[in-house]
Amino acid sequence: MTILEIKNLHHTYDNENYALEDINLSINDGEIVSILGPSGCGKTTLLRVIAGLERQSKGTIKINEQIISNEKFMIPPEKRSIGLVVQDKALFPHLNVINNVIFGIQKNKEKYNLAKNYLDIFKVEELADKYPHEISGGEQQRVALARAMAPHPNILLLDEPFSALDQSLKSELHHETKKIFKEKGLTVVIVSHDKDEAKFLSDRLIYIEDGKISPQK
Amino acid sequence: MNKFQKLIITLTTIIFSASALASEVNVYTSRHYDSDDALYAEFTKKTGIKVNIISGNGSALIERLRVEGKNSPADIYFTVDAGNLWKVQKEGYFKAINSESIKSVVPENLRGPNDEWVAIAKRARVIYYNPKSVTKNEINNLSYEDLAEPEWKGRIAIRSSSNMYNQSLVASLISNHGIEKTENWAKKFVTNFARNPQGSDRAQIVAVANGEADIAIANSYYIGIMLSGKSGNDQLEAAKKVKMHFPNQDNRGTHINISGAGILKNSPNSENAIKFLEFLLSEDVQQYMVNISFEYPILDNVDPHASIASFGVGFKEDRTSVADYGKYNPDAIRLMDRTGWK
Amino acid sequence: MVLASLLGDYSDNWAHLYDYVLVDYISNTLYLIIGVSLLSLLIGTVTAWIVTTYDFFGKRFLEWALILPLATPPYILAYTFTGFFDAFGTANNFIRDIFSLDQSFIFFPNIRNIYGAVIVFSFTLYPYIYLVSRSAFLNQSRSMLEAGRMLGLSQFEIFYKLSLPIIRPAVIGGLMLVIMETISDFGAVDHFAIQTFTTGVFRTWHGMYDLKTAMQLASILLIFVATFVWIEKISRKKALYTSGTSTFKPTKKIKLLKYKAFISFFICFIPILIGFILPITELIIWAISYNLSFFNEKFLLAAMNTILLSITAAVLCASIALIINFSIRFKKYRFSNFLSSFLSLGYAVPGLILAVGIVQLFALIDQNILFNSDIILTGSIVGLIFAYIIKSYALANSTFESGFQRISTNLDDSARTLKSSGWNLLSRVHLPLLKTSFLTSILMVTSEVVKELPATLILRPFNFDTLAVATYIYAAEERMFQAAAPAIAIMLVGLIPIILLTKMISSSRPMDK
Repeated sequence: MTILEIKNLHHTYDNENYALEDINLSINDGEIVSILGPSGCGKTTLLRVIAGLERQSKGTIKINEQIISNEKFMIPPEKRSIGLVVQDKALFPHLNVINNVIFGIQKNKEKYNLAKNYLDIFKVEELADKYPHEISGGEQQRVALARAMAPHPNILLLDEPFSALDQSLKSELHHETKKIFKEKGLTVVIVSHDKDEAKFLSDRLIYIEDGKISPQK
Repeated sequence: MNKFQKLIITLTTIIFSASALASEVNVYTSRHYDSDDALYAEFTKKTGIKVNIISGNGSALIERLRVEGKNSPADIYFTVDAGNLWKVQKEGYFKAINSESIKSVVPENLRGPNDEWVAIAKRARVIYYNPKSVTKNEINNLSYEDLAEPEWKGRIAIRSSSNMYNQSLVASLISNHGIEKTENWAKKFVTNFARNPQGSDRAQIVAVANGEADIAIANSYYIGIMLSGKSGNDQLEAAKKVKMHFPNQDNRGTHINISGAGILKNSPNSENAIKFLEFLLSEDVQQYMVNISFEYPILDNVDPHASIASFGVGFKEDRTSVADYGKYNPDAIRLMDRTGWK
Repeated sequence: MVLASLLGDYSDNWAHLYDYVLVDYISNTLYLIIGVSLLSLLIGTVTAWIVTTYDFFGKRFLEWALILPLATPPYILAYTFTGFFDAFGTANNFIRDIFSLDQSFIFFPNIRNIYGAVIVFSFTLYPYIYLVSRSAFLNQSRSMLEAGRMLGLSQFEIFYKLSLPIIRPAVIGGLMLVIMETISDFGAVDHFAIQTFTTGVFRTWHGMYDLKTAMQLASILLIFVATFVWIEKISRKKALYTSGTSTFKPTKKIKLLKYKAFISFFICFIPILIGFILPITELIIWAISYNLSFFNEKFLLAAMNTILLSITAAVLCASIALIINFSIRFKKYRFSNFLSSFLSLGYAVPGLILAVGIVQLFALIDQNILFNSDIILTGSIVGLIFAYIIKSYALANSTFESGFQRISTNLDDSARTLKSSGWNLLSRVHLPLLKTSFLTSILMVTSEVVKELPATLILRPFNFDTLAVATYIYAAEERMFQAAAPAIAIMLVGLIPIILLTKMISSSRPMDK
């Protein structure tokens, strides 16, 4: 079943050059898709438009058959139920690890246990009371993933999530996250410039070049 | 909107202690002395009328009067400069003070036109000189006009033209001689300065004592304050070294300025306001005030403080209407700007 | 209200001003701005760099003591300066006594000139630059500095090639405050008899009785400042200064010993000496000799009024600045951006002119909106607080501006995808991260309001005194000796927020527990 559908999507920052041009894309429930392309090709912009952090100039985005944004109308990011993990993790520095994970969970008596559970999944449960600056880069990435997944988003968006990590840490996380995503049946869109990583993690690869989807390789 | 209005009004009236008491008098004043509180307390004791004060800059208080318009709570406007009194009268905010007892004790040139304001105390703008460097001959019969003569080159200390006492002095010269003549005088006068205009009136007196200049123009009461020792030993020592000269004794007399007050047209307590002014012009209070401020009293039967009196009493005062100071004040400033009096 | 005057008629006085004095006003004001900018930048950044980079004996003391001169209003430093350095002031007399010199010998040069004024403003206002530079230096990444060292840069080169350019936006914010306060000041320049734009405004108003021209002059000053702010904003847009990372490693301090430690201590101590110790000592001497009776129940009342007023105004002002800055960031409203810049200008308006503008505004509100026959806003505490907020909005705003700049926008994005926005985002993410900014702006506004005079004078209700009013009542008649006691009180009350401020910034180094 199609969960995310993008039609005729255009985006421009300066009303002249398109950062994204006529993107058409549909992603199935439980599918892991990687978007590949050189830096500056518009792949991060696409992610931000899907998340609702950027508003497209033209085109329609649907989630579960419902329009979430078009030219006239747009659901703000906080109501889209989309998770996002960015390259620099963006953990809240004033909150400890467990409270970072709890942050996005709506009113729920089991908040704490739920968050604990996700820390457990990513093997960082013993860091619950530490602050972001007290833990390593790899650990921060695990917490960021746990935080994004904890509110049970419809779709999880990852923007170069592993690029700041060293090789051994990277492959360790690759294996773990893929396993977790598949176990949970999550729909995931990953932006990457690393072809091997993309191939390993995802079910399908999409190439973007100069703001357009290219049918290459 | 109605509810909102009510809320705002109740809130503000709670915070703003509205003046609804019957027995009070509201004074806007730019004259402040240590002893003010004691004076007002005395008035309250005598009459049962409470004195409410807003002290501030004279011009700013006029602006407050203007915007408050007919709602203004002010009864009395009290200031240390005749120019401001003239301005308030010109705007039409004053009304005639109907008090025979005031008319009987204050000479006419110290009351405003139509009795709309009255002087409470007066000060003279005099010449201080250093007897070591100024000869008897030079100082004898010296007038303001003489200070433009070349013999005073580099010998005069005076403060900047931003100061209202200097503005009033120049305005009085304009009133007597006209703009053109005064301007010619000022052009030469400015070239006689010993230094760039700077500091207060007292700094000019100190400059004369220290020999930085030979003569200085400053107000009369400052020497009294300095001699009292209230402003420090250095100033006391400096004050002892200088002498005072009353200019223009052989013609129109020494330039006089006043502290004065008037009753406002929309005064809610004008009966009390009259009582207050009468109180300020009573013998005891005059004596009390001049002993603290070192000004000259308005009443003939009251003497100035002994230290001021020692420089001479009964000198000839310039009878130029003090109202003219206000009238010519803008001209005076423009004139001083043109002649490069900083 | 002030700006509205520009639309009105222009009187003949303009021709006069133009012909004779305008050039003086402009050149003196410009010299003053340039001099004060350079000197206060030098003092502020160098001292901040020393206390954040090095560790030496007395550093902990200096770190907070460097803020103390903020408690000294420029006009009080000007008065004590002349008392001290005049030809026959304390300092020259002292030198003469020691070397038994002749009366005509004057060691210290005349300070009643533009150089004296530059010194007075720089040494009282540099803490605005020190505060922002210090926190910016603390926040810069260690790896960048280490990279600098690896490239063979000396400590000094790191300071001016790396650290200084990077903290530029923060420092410019502080500098704007310094400049605005300098041009709006009347007391100090008047005491030194320097003809600036602001003294010209008062001369025109008080002497020529021409309020309209005075307001027009003030408006020109405002337009000048506004243009300056605008140019600065544009030039800042080109570079991105926020460091991308949201985590932070504290920079390690370099330990200094012996003579190096002594020199550092000495450099940092000079501003404190001139900006705080000297004036308060001189004031204490004056007060003890002439007027101790001031400390009575009336004083207590005035002190209470001062404290209550300033704290109320500060909390409101900080909250308003927070909300406006948040809405600029979150909603990108053009209106809030404009409103913020507009309110900031209030700081550059000479206090008395601002007060008159507000009185006129209140009269308008009272007559047209409240439809009440009694005067409500004019002469009320509410009006007074309103005036304080306009006057000191720039202080609160600048703190929040730099505070928000330091929060990575990635945090906002993450928070939004985690279902947090609007008030929720503000209270759960921004406010906790801006805790320091919030308190800093409260304390800065408090210390400003404690010193504020002209608006208080004209807007206050009957019989309502603050400490600044008590000082003015004496100082207006040149009785500085009697003004000494309330002036000390201003400095002491002003110290309370400053000490709290320093306690806070030393305990809450960003992110380190």
